[in-house]
Amino acid sequence: MDNQTPAAELVDIWKRFPGVIANAGANLMVRPGSVHAVLGENGAGKTTLMNVLAGVYQPDEGTVSLAGQQMSFTKPAQAIKAGVVMVHQEFRLIPTFTVAENVALAGSPSIIAKRSIEDSVAELADRFGLATDPSREVWRLSMGERQRVEILKALWQDAKVLILDEPTAVLTPSEATELGRVVTAMANDGRAIIFISHKLDEVTEFCDEATVLRGGATVASSLPVEELDAARLAELMVGEATEVSVRRTRTSPVAEPVLEVRNAAVRDLHGIATVADVSLTVGKGEIVGIAGVAGNGQRPLADAIAGLESLESGTISLGGSSIEGATPKARNAAGLAYVPEDRLGVGLAPRLNVVENAMMRSYRSMTKGPFIDRSATQTMCEDLAAEYKVKVGKFDAPIGALSGGNLQRLLVGRELADDPKVLVAAQPTRGLDVQGVAAIQQIIVEQSQAGLGVLLISEDLEELLALSDRLLVMHEGEIVAEFDPDTTSRAEVGAAMAGAH
Amino acid sequence: MFGFRLQKRETPLPGGQIRAFIVGLLVALLIGALLLLMVDQNPLDIYAKMFSAAFGSSQGISTTLTRAVPLGLAGLAVAVAGSMGLWNIGAEGQIIAGAMGAAWVARLGPDLAGPALIPLMLFAAAIFGGLLAFGPAIARAQLGVNEIITTLMLNEIALRAVRYLVNGPWKDPDSFNFPQAPALPEQSVLPTLFDRASIAVLIAAAVLLVFGVYASRSAWGYELRVAGSSESAAKYAGISLKKKIFTVLVLSGTIAGLGGGLVLMGSSSSPSRLVEGVANGWGFAGIIVAALALMRPSGVAAVAVAFGAVQVGGLRIQTLGVPASVANTLQALILFGALAAAVFTNYKLTRRSAAQAVTA
Repeated sequence: MDNQTPAAELVDIWKRFPGVIANAGANLMVRPGSVHAVLGENGAGKTTLMNVLAGVYQPDEGTVSLAGQQMSFTKPAQAIKAGVVMVHQEFRLIPTFTVAENVALAGSPSIIAKRSIEDSVAELADRFGLATDPSREVWRLSMGERQRVEILKALWQDAKVLILDEPTAVLTPSEATELGRVVTAMANDGRAIIFISHKLDEVTEFCDEATVLRGGATVASSLPVEELDAARLAELMVGEATEVSVRRTRTSPVAEPVLEVRNAAVRDLHGIATVADVSLTVGKGEIVGIAGVAGNGQRPLADAIAGLESLESGTISLGGSSIEGATPKARNAAGLAYVPEDRLGVGLAPRLNVVENAMMRSYRSMTKGPFIDRSATQTMCEDLAAEYKVKVGKFDAPIGALSGGNLQRLLVGRELADDPKVLVAAQPTRGLDVQGVAAIQQIIVEQSQAGLGVLLISEDLEELLALSDRLLVMHEGEIVAEFDPDTTSRAEVGAAMAGAH
Repeated sequence: MFGFRLQKRETPLPGGQIRAFIVGLLVALLIGALLLLMVDQNPLDIYAKMFSAAFGSSQGISTTLTRAVPLGLAGLAVAVAGSMGLWNIGAEGQIIAGAMGAAWVARLGPDLAGPALIPLMLFAAAIFGGLLAFGPAIARAQLGVNEIITTLMLNEIALRAVRYLVNGPWKDPDSFNFPQAPALPEQSVLPTLFDRASIAVLIAAAVLLVFGVYASRSAWGYELRVAGSSESAAKYAGISLKKKIFTVLVLSGTIAGLGGGLVLMGSSSSPSRLVEGVANGWGFAGIIVAALALMRPSGVAAVAVAFGAVQVGGLRIQTLGVPASVANTLQALILFGALAAAVFTNYKLTRRSAAQAVTA
C-alpha cells in the first residue's frame, strides 16, 4: 500500500498563539493502512498539529490535504465528515448512557431504533475485535472499555484517519496490548491511524512509521520504525546539545541526607500504578536530577513527596523525621518547599492578587487577631519581589497579569523564603524565556550551595546535566538508572529514558 | 457565529463593576422605556414614580429596607458559599426552616424566656437554617455529593414541613380554616425602627457588615478565596478542604435561617405569623443578589437595597395602571441588565479577526 496517495498530509503548518509559536513549519504524511507514530516532548506542538488536522484550529500558514484533496476545515464537524476523527485523552462520553447510545450520538439516522443500533454497534465491535457490551451504561466500564467506546464512535463515523492522543496513558499493560491488536485491525482495514505517544517501546511495537516534532517543527518525518532504535529516537526528541548558561561545581560526596524516599509507590484514581518502588536520597546541598519522558511517574512522585498525593506504600523522611503521614502544611513547616509543575492552579491561585499569592505559605503567622495584617503582607510581598527581581505592575492586580518568568520567580522566591531544607522543583524552567530559565537555574544553584537539598525534575536534559550532582532516570514509574553527569553522555541518558536497560 | 465573541479579560475592568452596572442599568431602562411606550405610559414619569416609591418618603425607604433584609441575608448566604465556589441553592428552604425554628421557640411559651425570648428565637432560626444545610454540607465534604442538587431538593422538604405544620399541629384554631399558625405573641415581634421598618434592618445590617469585613480581611476569608480560586492550590497551601466545605455550607444555611427568623418576626404585615409562603422567593432572589455582588460578601448589602427598591417601585407602578406583566418584565430587565453588566467586568466583546470571520 506504500505508493498510494497519502490518507492525510500536512505541509508546512504554522500556528501562532499570543506569545507562543506552537507549530513552526510542521509536516506530516500518513499513508492509508498504516499506523503512524507522532513523537515529541511536551510542548513540541503535537497536540496543536493534531488539532489543525481535526479542524479544531485553523493554521496560520500551510495546507491540509486528505486523500490528495486540499481541505480547509473551520470546525471539527467538517473534519469528522471528511473522515478525520480524534480520540482525546479525556473521553467525551455520557456516563449514564449505554455504549450504543453514546455511539449513536456520534451521528445516526434521526429516528433511532434502539435494538437495531445495538446490533449494528455489536457488529462493528466484533469486526475490529473491540470486546464490548452495547447495552451497558458507560459509567460501569473501565477506562480501557471506555476508550473502546470512543474508538467505536470514530469507526461509526467511518473515520479514514483516526487520531489517538496518548491512548495508552490510561490503560493497564494488558489493555495496552489489546489496543495494539485493535489498531492493527483498523489499519488492515485500510484506515490510517495516527498514534501520539511518549512511550518509545509502544511505538516500536505498534507503529509502522514515525514522525518526530521538536519546537513546533518536524525534525524527522515518516521514518520506518524498523530502522529506529530507542536511543536515536530519544535524541531526535530532545534535540542537539544546547548551551546552558548556568553551570556549577559539583559538591563533594554528601554526608547528611535531608530527603529520603524509600520504596515509594503511588496509584492513580483508576488504580494504575504511577510510581513503583522508588527509593532516592537527596543530601544537604546536593542537587539530584530526575530525567524522564513526560508521564513516567515524575509528577505523582513529586506530589507524593509534597503530600498532595497519598503513598500506597513506602516511607519519606525529611531531615531524619518521617513525614509520609503528614499534611502538606506540616511538611512545609518541617522545611519542604515545592515548586509544582502547574504553577498557576497549584502553586499559585489564579484569581487572587499578587500579595495574596505571595502570602500563601506565611499568612497564618501574619495576623492580628482573626485579621490578616495587610501592611505586613504588603511589605513581605514587596521585599520578595525586590529580592527575586519580580516585575510587578500593581500588587493588587490578579496574579495572572504577571508574565511566566515573573510568576515563577515569585513562586520560587516564596518557597525559599522560609529557609527550607529541601526543594522539590518540577519542570521549574519549562516554558520560560532564556533569561527566565537562567534566573531560575541561578537561584537553584545558589541555594544549593548554601545548603539546600534539591530534587530537580526536568525534561530538559541539558539543564539536568549542567545542574545535577547525580542524575536519576525514571521510566514507567521506576528509577531505572543513575548517572554521574560529568561522565555520562546524552545518548546514554536518552537510552535509559527510552527504557533500554 | 455573529462575528462577535466573548473574550475573558486578563485583568478585570478596573472599577468596572460600578461602571458596567450603570451601563447595564441604562440599557435596561431604555428597553423598559420602549415597553412602557407600548402600553401608553410616559417612561420618565413611571421611572420617577418607581424611584420615589422606593426612596421618596420615609415610608418608602422603610419598605425598601424591610425587603432588603431577607434579600441581603439570603444573598450573603449564597455569596459566602459562592466565594469558595460552592452553590447553596437552598436558601429558600433554610429561610423556611429558620422561620419554623423561631416560631417553635415562641410556641414553647412566650413568657418562658422573658426578655431573652427574641434573641432565643433568632438563635433558633439560625440553628434551624444551619441544620437544614448540615446534610448537604457533610455529603459534599465527605463524599463529594453535588451540593446544588441536595440543597435544592431540601427546599421542597422544608416547604412540605411548614405546609404540614400550618395545616396540622400548628394550625390556628381561630383562623377560619386558613392554613396559618397563630399570630406570634407581642413580646416576640421585633420593635419598630421607623415607619414599617423593624430593628430587623439593624440586625441584618450588622450581620452584613461583620461578614463583609470578616470575609475580605480575615485569614478565614482568605482561605475561602484560595479554595474558590483553585482546589489544588488550596490543598497545596495546606488548607483543609473538607473542613472548609463543611463549615462554609453550614454557615451559609445559618445565615439564611437567621433571615427566616427576621422575616417572621420583623415583617411589616401585622400580625406576624408563620404561613406556608413565609420565604416568598427571597431565597431564590438571594442567588441573583449574590451574583450581582460578584459573590463578594462585602458587596451584598448595596445590591440587596437596590433589589428591594426595584421590587417596591415595581409594585407601586402596578397601582398606577401599568399592567403587572409589564411591571414584572421591567424588574426582570433591570436585574438582567445588571447581571449582564457583571459579566462584562470579566469579559469583553471582541470582533472576530477578519481572517477568522471569512473562514467561519
